[in-house]
Amino acid sequence: MRFLHLLASEDPSQTHHWLLPETAEIIYGGISSLLIFAALYKFALPAAKKGLAARTERIQKELDNAASTRSAAESEAANIRKAVGDVASERARLLSEADQQAAALLAEGRVRITAEVADLEAKAEADIAASRSRSSDELRAQIAQIASVAAQNAVAATLNDGTQQELIEGFISSVGGAR
Amino acid sequence: MSDARIEAYARALTEIASAEGNLDAVEKELYVVARAVESNDQLRTTLTDESIPAVRRQAVVEALVGSASNTTAQLIGLVVGSGRGRDLPAIIDKIVKRASNAQNKEVAEVRSAVALSADQQSRLAAALERATGKSVNLKVVVDPSFLGGLIATVGDEVIDGSVRTRLDQVKSRL
Repeated sequence: MRFLHLLASEDPSQTHHWLLPETAEIIYGGISSLLIFAALYKFALPAAKKGLAARTERIQKELDNAASTRSAAESEAANIRKAVGDVASERARLLSEADQQAAALLAEGRVRITAEVADLEAKAEADIAASRSRSSDELRAQIAQIASVAAQNAVAATLNDGTQQELIEGFISSVGGAR
Repeated sequence: MSDARIEAYARALTEIASAEGNLDAVEKELYVVARAVESNDQLRTTLTDESIPAVRRQAVVEALVGSASNTTAQLIGLVVGSGRGRDLPAIIDKIVKRASNAQNKEVAEVRSAVALSADQQSRLAAALERATGKSVNLKVVVDPSFLGGLIATVGDEVIDGSVRTRLDQVKSRL
């Protein structure tokens, strides 16, 4: 009652001090502030903690992913560096093998060509010798043929009746005198 | 044809000629015919061609022997008609040899570029008999390809005096 009386006896629009509120206002305000802080503590703080933890977890996950990605990238880079090294050594090996094969082929080709040239030269020399001999033989045969025909013609031209009779008589005489 | 068959034909034909009593003349005529067949390819082909009727071949034989004796023509016709025309020269050579042997003579075949006179044949036969020591039955074959000179064959002995042979020797030496 006293409190109500107090409320009725004083002007609510007037304060005792320009800086300080009225006592009731302080009480109401204090209680309201306590209720608000309690509600905040009860409901908002867990949600904030939960959100902060989720954010922390997401950031940590991103950091982990970044680390994993970096590790994978470094591994890939190492593989690439290794592959590049392998390619270089393989290239060097292939070039070396190619050089060796080329050298072997060149040597073999030189030997083969040398042998073939020698064979061709020998064959050519034999052909030349055979051709020379054949030409000489053919020439001799032609000369003999011409001489034979000439001799036959000359003999035939001289074989008249008298010569024939002389040959016959000579044969008879030689056969008759043989014994 | 085998030698035995040729010998059989020669023996049979010799007997026929002997029975007819003119073996000497027949063997001389046969010898001429044999050399003609040997030297003439067309005649030899005609006489040995089985596709030509035997009658026609015998007509060719009659035209060939001409004035020869009937015995000669019949003997040749017998051989040709029996399809033995290819062996006619061999059969005739056997006949000539048998006829010569019957007279104790050796066949002396003389090839000459020109024909020999009777006197030359007589002197040549005498010369060959002196040279070989055998009686010879001289057979002269004229062969112009010899150019000149003679070749005499008595049995296995050959006496070569032909110009052709001397030219061949010169050609060989060349």
